[in-house]
Amino acid sequence: MDVSQYLEIFIDETKEHLQTLSDQLMILEQEPENMDTINEIFRAAHSLKGMAGTMGYKRMQRLTHDMENVFQEIRSGNMKVQPELVDVLFRGLDALEGYLANILESADEGTEENQDIINTLNEIVEKGTGKAGQAAQETPKQEEAAPAGGALYESITISDYEINTFEKAKEQNLNILGITVYLEESCLLKAARAFLVFKALEELGEVMKAVPDVQDIEDEKFDMNFSLVYFTKESPEKIKAAIENVSEIKEAVVGEFKLPENGAEKTEEKAAQEEEKKEEKPAKQASATAVKSEPKKDTAKKTEKKNAKPAVGRTVRVDIEKLDVLMNLVSELIIAKNGLVSISSSAQNTRNDNSFNEQIEYLESVTTNLHESVMKVRMVPIESVVNRFPRMIRDLSKKLDKKMELHMSGEDTELDRTVIDEIGDPLQHLLRNSADHGLESNEERLALGKSEVGNIWLNAYQDGNNVNIEVRDDGAGINIEKVKNKALEKGTITPEQAEVMTDKEIIDLLFQPSFSTAEKITDVSGRGVGLDVVKTKIEGLGGNIECRSVVGEGSSFIIHLPLTLAIIQALMVELGNEKYAIPLGSIQTIEDVAVSDIKYVQTKEVINLRGTVIPLIRLDQILDVESSLEDPESLTVVIVKKGDKQAGLVVDNLIGQQEVVIKSIGSYINCSKIISGATILGDGEIALILEVNTLV
Amino acid sequence: MDSNNVQNLDTVGNEKQYIVVRLGSEQYGIDIQYVDNIVRKQRITRVPKAQHYFKGVINLRGEVIPVMSLRLKFDLEPDEYTNATRIIIIKLEQHSAIGIIVDEIKEVVTLSEDAIDKPTSADSSGDSRIQYLSGVGKQESGLISLLNIANVINDKEAVS
Repeated sequence: MDVSQYLEIFIDETKEHLQTLSDQLMILEQEPENMDTINEIFRAAHSLKGMAGTMGYKRMQRLTHDMENVFQEIRSGNMKVQPELVDVLFRGLDALEGYLANILESADEGTEENQDIINTLNEIVEKGTGKAGQAAQETPKQEEAAPAGGALYESITISDYEINTFEKAKEQNLNILGITVYLEESCLLKAARAFLVFKALEELGEVMKAVPDVQDIEDEKFDMNFSLVYFTKESPEKIKAAIENVSEIKEAVVGEFKLPENGAEKTEEKAAQEEEKKEEKPAKQASATAVKSEPKKDTAKKTEKKNAKPAVGRTVRVDIEKLDVLMNLVSELIIAKNGLVSISSSAQNTRNDNSFNEQIEYLESVTTNLHESVMKVRMVPIESVVNRFPRMIRDLSKKLDKKMELHMSGEDTELDRTVIDEIGDPLQHLLRNSADHGLESNEERLALGKSEVGNIWLNAYQDGNNVNIEVRDDGAGINIEKVKNKALEKGTITPEQAEVMTDKEIIDLLFQPSFSTAEKITDVSGRGVGLDVVKTKIEGLGGNIECRSVVGEGSSFIIHLPLTLAIIQALMVELGNEKYAIPLGSIQTIEDVAVSDIKYVQTKEVINLRGTVIPLIRLDQILDVESSLEDPESLTVVIVKKGDKQAGLVVDNLIGQQEVVIKSIGSYINCSKIISGATILGDGEIALILEVNTLV
Repeated sequence: MDSNNVQNLDTVGNEKQYIVVRLGSEQYGIDIQYVDNIVRKQRITRVPKAQHYFKGVINLRGEVIPVMSLRLKFDLEPDEYTNATRIIIIKLEQHSAIGIIVDEIKEVVTLSEDAIDKPTSADSSGDSRIQYLSGVGKQESGLISLLNIANVINDKEAVS
């Protein structure tokens, strides 16, 4: 059967189940006796097995099957959870992720058998239970499976009209068979299986009637069984074999279908009875005699139960590209709106009446709300990235032989989808850094009077238009002298520079590309190795990273990310006759500074702003603009910040705050990163957006 | 490769259409399949610190498109903008759109394979412009230097 249409669902669900497995295994390691966890793992493994089987991924199915077995044994109390078991299960989990990665790439699970994991699993089961693993595999399954119900088909009712077809069939000497098909309970694509059964049957004869009817079966509106009336020339045995040939069919009960003697009477009750059939479960005895009153009570109970099930969250999976299109349209709308605003505010306009302005204000609030909603749709909780980290820290802890614990908070902080996709690697890198180099060994920690278990924190929180993610450890901190010496050794800084550098500037050296050298990349990480890559990646996302460290107390890396990438609030400024946009997120204050207040430190212009010395950046010089002002008495200075650093950008004029749509200027133009993009103003003019992080 | 296949399907008898443009006194041909659009010269926003031959960016119906000057690229005198000045928007597969400024658009010509001389191989390296040409087309009205658009817009060497 062609299952490719289910592939996406399979991949999504598999990911979910794998995540559950990973989470629960972590808990299990802490609380080996937790029955809820064991049950949860069993269920996840079981579902995975069923899904893999349906999709025809045999190797994956086999591995999950054996994992499931282990938990079956634990569940039934035949064995206990041991640490080595958890290790093997984690290895199994990795192997499953490997299969999934292959499937993602090529829709094929690959050829890795992972025999050693399966063997180890079976050995553990054998040891734990004293039984042969193989025997243990099948027996509990059999017990668990509810004994197949009776021949439900016998209660199918036949209308007068249908009786005619029966008589015709008899004339043609066809066997009239009743068939009840039971699906395996793990079967996920019930409709698909039923379809296969029908297909098999249609090759050998004719399906006269089905309960529930064919439409309902196609819509998966049935439990684990369905019944048929069937005309064929073949023997019941052959039909049975044909049905059971379809995978995930537990049993097919095939027998001769006897016409009810007084069909007319039955017809009256037909409607009521069919209702019941839909609800009936195979385990219940809707037995051969079909006593009508009993199953009726039963039905009521069942229905209640069904309704009690929690409704699945009402969500729709939407292709990110469709969202991008929507986002673009909203952007266009905002541009158009800005156009209207600029017309209405221009003095020459004659239609400057009140109602026109009112409508524009209304339009403005609608577009702002629309924009916010669309942005929210693109927001994804950071959880989907960070939930793999506890597992990673656990593995690192074993590998490095250091005790450590990861504390996470703010997993529900939301970020733009595009940011979420990119942020995983940098975070992973920082965590590895903390685990490997930040934290001291167990002995050292004890000797220093710290608790033996090292702590790593991963905190995410929203701060205005930014989201901050902090990776902190309570380890040794960064050894400033060591970094300085290394920088000298590498020639990154000169001894003179080293003299005057602050600790902070030295720490910032870690982010320099020259600090990372390929041969230094160890299995886990090396301090400073690849931090420049982290930095580049985060700056590519429009964010920045800073590092704080106290020797002996630990270090922390703080990532600041913009909430959204596509539309931002910006301050429009004028330089000469050109307009530029400065992202509002990085602006602190705007000051008027008298020229006479400008001081010089090492021939650089600085101002003293309420006790803080802030370097001035003459934008006109950097951007090669001719300033329209000649020898002004005071300067307009936009104070911007990048992490802890501040700088004052000197501009000619302020135009005002505006919502701007960021457009890329493409990759052809190389403008040394001082321009992060462009935006189209209301009058169709283009303003460039300054990249504050590169300027400061 | 790919583009060749397309041409074989689209054009009869190995003929290609070129837009003939004027730069100073010279004529250049641009393969019409890469031309997305031709617009009049409009306000160009300067981008600081860009390569010298990039004049800046323009707003083409809501898209921001970089614009380069072919004259500056080919080390000719800087552009003089006249009424005939046009910006040709080029769209190469898998690349974003880019505009090039030309003095004038003259006509569209159809050249068959045998009317095109391939450039003499790379050994005539005296002229740096040779890498931007894919051949020379012969026409009654004169010779047309056919531009190798991919090389013109993807010039790595010029990135400072």
